Amino acid sequence: MASDADPGGNPLVRDNDDVDPHAPGASGVPVLREAVRAEAGEAELVASVLRRDRKAAARFVAAHIDAVYAYARHRLTPRVELVDDVVQDVFLAALDSLAAFQGQSSLRAWLIGIARHKVEDVYRRRLRVSEPLEAVEADEDPRLSAVPAMEAHIDAARSRDRARQVLSRIPERYGLVLLWRYWEQRSVREIAAAIGATEKSVERTLARARERFKELWLKEERHG
Amino acid sequence: MADDLWFERLAEGAGAPIEARAPAVLKAKVYSAMLTRMAESGPLDDLLHSKRAGERLCVFENSLTLLPIGADLRSKNPCRVCHARVLAERMEHAPIFWPGCPYSEFHNG
Repeated sequence: MASDADPGGNPLVRDNDDVDPHAPGASGVPVLREAVRAEAGEAELVASVLRRDRKAAARFVAAHIDAVYAYARHRLTPRVELVDDVVQDVFLAALDSLAAFQGQSSLRAWLIGIARHKVEDVYRRRLRVSEPLEAVEADEDPRLSAVPAMEAHIDAARSRDRARQVLSRIPERYGLVLLWRYWEQRSVREIAAAIGATEKSVERTLARARERFKELWLKEERHG
Repeated sequence: MADDLWFERLAEGAGAPIEARAPAVLKAKVYSAMLTRMAESGPLDDLLHSKRAGERLCVFENSLTLLPIGADLRSKNPCRVCHARVLAERMEHAPIFWPGCPYSEFHNG
């Protein structure tokens, strides 16, 4: 976190996420001051981009693209080839609606909100264009329901990599529906409405997806 | 449902976005796309304004501010015909080192 004695710091590239109220030695007043400065910096950046200032646009991209990229990449794994288009769509959509940005959240949070919608657009498109959910389900192995129960404790650090590996190995529709339901925390009803399917059909696909995921998860675990 | 709970916990624990830096090529492409979109709705801000505001201009942009030309030309986007942009959008470690060039800063920043 930059202090007031940091004249070289560029307030235009900071955002509220840099303000860490739990930082050692941090007291409330400097944190509040920093937050106010960050907010003012964001407002200035937004005004400059709206004025079509190209240098401000460069700062806008430089300051936030890593966060948007990380979010999109995480949510679209294993289809990482889709990430670049989503990130570009996010920034263009942000530019189109920047005049409506009120500063009620940080710019980064606002951009991540747009990214979330764009990622869900990808889920929706890909689940819609592929074959009906039931068509794949009919080919599933009924023995999958015999997958043993999984351990209760999940280690976050290791599970992230393993989850990514498993998601890359299950059918795309299964991965998407799991990401949508659990990572994006959308209800079955919302998913069904978005792709024009019945809730029952989404439930069945989810059940199959969970079984397939667990099966591969346990395999990964056995093989270290 | 036990399965639901397990997946919810997995997503919660493993759901934090990974630390990842966007490739410089992507930064360059997004910036170019933004400039194109900005220019669609009107001329870009005059480079003289940027210069007076203390912004760093590249050598080409700076030359536009020194020539006896109108604001309409200074509001054009010279990056569209610049080799630095072309390289930056195609190579991850593009050999561009122009001071004040945003494409160079995406790659070397």
